[in-house]
Amino acid sequence: MLLQVKNIESFYGLSKALSDVSLSIEEGEIVCVLGANGAGKSTLLKTIAGQVKPRNGQVVFRGKRIDQIEPHRIVREGVTLCPEDKKIFPQMSVFKNLYLGAWIYGKDKVRIEANIVDVYNLFPVLKERKNQDAGTLSGGEQQMLVIGRSLMSNPWLLMLDEPSLGLAPLMVERIFEVIRQINARRTTILLVEQNASIALNVANRGYIMEAGRITMEGASYELLNNEKVKKAYLGF
Amino acid sequence: MIALGLTLIYGVLQIPNFSHGALYMIGAYVAYFSIVSFGFPYWVGLITSVITLFCVGMFVERVAFRPLYDKPLINAFIVAVGLILIFENGALAIWGPEFRRLPAPSSAVIELSGAIITMQRIIVIAAALLLIAAVHFFVKKTRLGAAIEATAQNREGAQLMGINVYLMGGITFGIGTSLAAVAGVLIAPIFLIYPSMGVPVIGMAFVIMIVGGMGSFLGAVAGGYLIGLLETLVSSYITTYFTEVILFGLLVVVLAIKPTGLFGKGH
Repeated sequence: MLLQVKNIESFYGLSKALSDVSLSIEEGEIVCVLGANGAGKSTLLKTIAGQVKPRNGQVVFRGKRIDQIEPHRIVREGVTLCPEDKKIFPQMSVFKNLYLGAWIYGKDKVRIEANIVDVYNLFPVLKERKNQDAGTLSGGEQQMLVIGRSLMSNPWLLMLDEPSLGLAPLMVERIFEVIRQINARRTTILLVEQNASIALNVANRGYIMEAGRITMEGASYELLNNEKVKKAYLGF
Repeated sequence: MIALGLTLIYGVLQIPNFSHGALYMIGAYVAYFSIVSFGFPYWVGLITSVITLFCVGMFVERVAFRPLYDKPLINAFIVAVGLILIFENGALAIWGPEFRRLPAPSSAVIELSGAIITMQRIIVIAAALLLIAAVHFFVKKTRLGAAIEATAQNREGAQLMGINVYLMGGITFGIGTSLAAVAGVLIAPIFLIYPSMGVPVIGMAFVIMIVGGMGSFLGAVAGGYLIGLLETLVSSYITTYFTEVILFGLLVVVLAIKPTGLFGKGH
């Protein structure tokens, strides 16, 4: 088991955002979490990334409890989060954004160079724009930059929060194609999405969240064929 | 230089550090005592002061400001004002109210095409240019500098990269206060050292920072020269009584035309 979330309870401000949430991910899987706005999906990812501390419960990653350690240390454990609102460094070049993604490697230049070449192969457009300020990129390119930046630390687990948000359909397809490629190179992926059909298409398994609780879980094909899921999230 | 330190701290931590002037004063005192009481040469006194104030800065950030990061800004405001009282009255209680003069490292006087300048003033100007270049190099060209800049541009994003943003805040605060210390030590042979010497300076530094654009590095440098020049011109050609009126007038004009300051990015 790569990641185990056990009965966590988290608060967002004063309101309870997660109650008794448990999930587990095996190495090499793509797992998605679906749910409406405000169901607590982002809070779940933030809790795993250490940005929100759970009041109860545990997060265990590769056999080690990570729920009480600081966010910047969790990156070193091998978990990175691509946040929903991107959080790029707008007045820095694309190259420097990527370079900072490999912060945990310190001055290991060989490693950093190799990772940057890898990211450029995955997203050739970033190479074209490497000297441009990140803030001048289009929404889709920024999304690529955020994913690329997260890959710079070679995470065991990559968490993506709404990677399709605000992107044109063609760009969404492109991003999900890359998510598949990343997974094929043995990075485990935890994906949070509102776009249920595309998420279930790429994922092996899925969880459904409603009002801070997990209400359903199963293999993607089971969820795709489930009447309730069809009605609530797939729109037919 | 003071405005530069202030800008650095504001840019990364979003703290308007009103106690910066008091830290400048402490920097001057530290140098004074290491030079006059312990008999160190001027340059050793300068370095002692810089190192001491770097540590003081990190300590102040850790103890006074870090617990307030997630709180409303007004808390940091109040703490900064409180720190002025602590530092100034502390200095008054320990070192007394008397004015002290730090001997200049060189008393040479230079004649430059008719103008007479003391060596110390040339040192101040040269040091300011050197430090601006050094800080710029540090932020733009080093790994640690890049992490600090990243923290300033997107704190949460930096944290998600595994950067310890708290440590970056501390280091920035330390660098900012050491810049204040350098300013204090360099200016001490020209002016005098006394517990409230930071008061007129901090007001000016804030004017420079606001005119230049809050948190803008270039703005602090350009604003510094602009204000310095204006101050000199006004006091030598018009009157010394109105210097401040005109400076704050400039502030009002700049804010009216461009509310984010000359080089501000706006939010």
